[in-house]
Amino acid sequence: MEEQKKENPLKVNRRHFFSQLSIGIGSLALGSLLIPDLFKNGQMNLGQQPLGIPHFAPKAKRVIYLFQAGAPSQLETFDYKPMLRKRMGEDLPESIRNGQRLTGMTANQEKFPLMPPAVDFRQHGQSGTWISDFFPYTAKIADEITVIRSMHTEAINHDPAITFFQTGSQISGRPSMGSWMSYGLGSENKNLPSFVVLTSRGKGNSQGLYSKLWSSGFLDSKHQGVLLRSGKDPVLYLNDPEGISRSEKRDLLNEVSALNKLHHVETGDDEIESRIAQYEMAYRMQMSVPDVMDISKEPKSIIDLYGEDCQVPGTYAANALQARRLAENGVRFIQLYHQGWDQHGNLPNEMAGQAKDVDQASAALVLDLKQRGMLEDTLVIWGGEFGRGNYCQGKFDPANYGRDHHPRAFSIWMAGGGVKPGLNYGKTDEFGYNVIENPVHINDFHATLMYALGLDHEQLTYKYQGRRFRLTDVAGNVIKDLLA
Amino acid sequence: MIKPAQKHWVDYLILGLSVFLVFCLLFESYMELPSWVSWLGRWHPLVLHFPIVLLIIAIFLGLTGKKVPNSLLTVAVLSALITAISGFFLGKDASVKGDLLVWHQWLGGGLALLAAVWYALVHVFPSRVAYQKGIQLVLIVLIGFTGHYGGMITHGPDFLAFPSDQQKNKIPENPLIYGDVVVRILDNSCVSCHNPNKQEGELLMTGLGELLKGGKSGKTVIPGDPQDSELIKRLHLPVDDEDHMPPEGESPLGEREIGILERWIALGASDTLRLDQLEPSEPLVGLIEEMMTPDPEKKWQDLPKVADSTLQKLSTDYLTISRMASNSNALSVDAYLPPEYDPKQITDLKRVANNIVELDLSGLPLGNAEMSMITSCTNLEWLELDKTPLTDKSLQPLVNLKNLTLLKVYETKITDQSVSVFTQLPKLSKLYVWQTDISESALKSLQRERPALQINQGIDPITKDFFVTTDSTDTNSLQ
Repeated sequence: MEEQKKENPLKVNRRHFFSQLSIGIGSLALGSLLIPDLFKNGQMNLGQQPLGIPHFAPKAKRVIYLFQAGAPSQLETFDYKPMLRKRMGEDLPESIRNGQRLTGMTANQEKFPLMPPAVDFRQHGQSGTWISDFFPYTAKIADEITVIRSMHTEAINHDPAITFFQTGSQISGRPSMGSWMSYGLGSENKNLPSFVVLTSRGKGNSQGLYSKLWSSGFLDSKHQGVLLRSGKDPVLYLNDPEGISRSEKRDLLNEVSALNKLHHVETGDDEIESRIAQYEMAYRMQMSVPDVMDISKEPKSIIDLYGEDCQVPGTYAANALQARRLAENGVRFIQLYHQGWDQHGNLPNEMAGQAKDVDQASAALVLDLKQRGMLEDTLVIWGGEFGRGNYCQGKFDPANYGRDHHPRAFSIWMAGGGVKPGLNYGKTDEFGYNVIENPVHINDFHATLMYALGLDHEQLTYKYQGRRFRLTDVAGNVIKDLLA
Repeated sequence: MIKPAQKHWVDYLILGLSVFLVFCLLFESYMELPSWVSWLGRWHPLVLHFPIVLLIIAIFLGLTGKKVPNSLLTVAVLSALITAISGFFLGKDASVKGDLLVWHQWLGGGLALLAAVWYALVHVFPSRVAYQKGIQLVLIVLIGFTGHYGGMITHGPDFLAFPSDQQKNKIPENPLIYGDVVVRILDNSCVSCHNPNKQEGELLMTGLGELLKGGKSGKTVIPGDPQDSELIKRLHLPVDDEDHMPPEGESPLGEREIGILERWIALGASDTLRLDQLEPSEPLVGLIEEMMTPDPEKKWQDLPKVADSTLQKLSTDYLTISRMASNSNALSVDAYLPPEYDPKQITDLKRVANNIVELDLSGLPLGNAEMSMITSCTNLEWLELDKTPLTDKSLQPLVNLKNLTLLKVYETKITDQSVSVFTQLPKLSKLYVWQTDISESALKSLQRERPALQINQGIDPITKDFFVTTDSTDTNSLQ
């Protein structure tokens, strides 16, 4: 001890060196035993990963969701069931219905006579995909799309069903899937919101759309979907009042932000930071939004592609074209809703009209994205919240019939973003009533969507009210067969 | 020193055991062991560690010229003999003796007997040190080989193979489901115990015939019936179940591997079926394709490290830099046209040029400085230069981007002269040249030269015509 005291504390003699070396090596060895991944190159537990970056290399970077609100019938779109014609008018066998609960609209019907589609089907493309004649334009992109005919859900009424599709829960209050993507992936372009909503309405029977469908729920409000309106003011209250110049606005923002920062230091409330960021983004959006929304520079060939309608603000076609422009500008999640697909009666006429609203523009969007190479990393999805029954609702008339809600089987299509083109996935029985092959539940759909975007649906969580929430809650399997 | 009286019975014991070992080895085929003797054989894996260590210590002392304590040598030789005999008992238990086992048996027997010779030499001719040293050297070699063969029997022949991240060999295009995929899975996880050297459960998994024949517990593979195939049943058991395969301590098969085996059996366990003969919606297709595609993050492993602070410094409101995945140093860059464009925000990216794998500069008024920055991004795989003032001349330096797989140059003024650049990009697989001044014939010859290259020239004219001439709002044209 005496000798050691005399030594310079910085001097390391042979003994010190060896004793310290052994401790060092020992602790390294121990460390690598306790944390097996300690020395692996940057391998981290997914749960600890930072937000705003995909968990693994993504196949798609953004989503355009063409939501057909009201639930288009699978039997008049993509699921061809010639059996219904053969057994037209016969009662739906109980072995097929198998206890399925019905809505109050048909639960009291005495009979459930099978009703064939009032439209012909044809096979299209090299994939031989069955598509009804209501969709001659979609038929042209048969080899670009993957049709899933085995979607199923639990809800049988519009509001719970669409809420389930959008948020992963039938009960309102959870974040929308667009908000989850924004939360998980962050923004690609800081001058536009990462989640944008566009709505349009057809002439068919409509159901309400509420802003809760694009709410960020318990997530930070910056992930909220921003509704872009047609017309002069796409975003309400974005433009400066008369007589305020941009530099005056800048000064104002600087002062407000300084005050907000003070308040943040006092309270530590994260929503204040989020508010500051939103003011800044709104300021930049004053420039970027009018630019994105202005389709006057689109050449005639593009207008022709989407159809004349796309020049009329507020139509589905205009929104589809807008969706491409937003995608080009790095918006992560572009949610379109087209209302009017709830055909409880007058189905043949109403569906023909609804199809006319969306068919050309939806197909044009896929083709337009393709020629720009954007289908490589943009996922397009077309579909409603559930399917429709194979029996007639109301008076039995093959020229003017209705179909009630049906949760057990419905069809959607997807294109681009790593999805296998020309694939026909899943099958229903001959009655088009039950899924008999490769079922895809809404939770599976969400898990797969997230996987395509490079997110692990089990790892992207948010802790709220004492427990961790996910978009898929406690279910969901990634359907890898859908992805190339 | 050991007393003479003690020494005698030890000598006899060693002699006796040696004679017994020689007898065993010579008359193996005439022997039938009672079950309790087989049980003694089970102690082989335990006792074998003693002779290895003790002999090595004794040899070390002998070779360095020190005196080998007699007690050490005695215990070492005795343990070697006991190990060899117990090993012989254990080996008798195996239904078929593979090459590895035969080698291990004779090397081990030889080792024990040679150790006994050393013991005798020390006592009969203590002065012949040179002979002793010779024996010691041979013993070292024998210990090494016997141990190695024994290890290969227990842990599989590849156990000591140097770990490598790369797959041994890539799965070929359009693989045979059995030959190229199933065999690979079985080789990785099953064959180390179910091979001719170590036929656990009397099951061989080295060939389709053997699989169909099955083992002690019945049919391993029943074509068309995965539920009843013993292989699938055991893979699906809970990991802590005694019958789960691979057994405790070995890493279980992944979901994908189990899925592949299950679907392969369901489809008839054929050895001629190929990937392209399957329906596109068959789950096996997805599973195998997933196995075939290399993990993109692997190829980015060697990119230089880049700090988050660097990325923050380079990002602006109009330039987003993000990692391709959270633990990756590969970067994706998206630039948007700001109200006042400054080339500096692009040229500053030079600092991270080697990390950029995706670069989107669509619609920017790019000049020469920016183009030279792009050329320095040698790891670039994905480049978007559409709607830029790109010319044939400014495109020319892109020939340096040897890793480029996707290139968007649509809506630019490039002409036929640029086609030679495309041909010099070896990995290019997707090219977007819609609305450029490149002629149809130049693209045709490019296609001929590079048949796998996907050239996108926009919507095909017939489809486009359909969209342009029939407008969906015109009701009559559709009905």
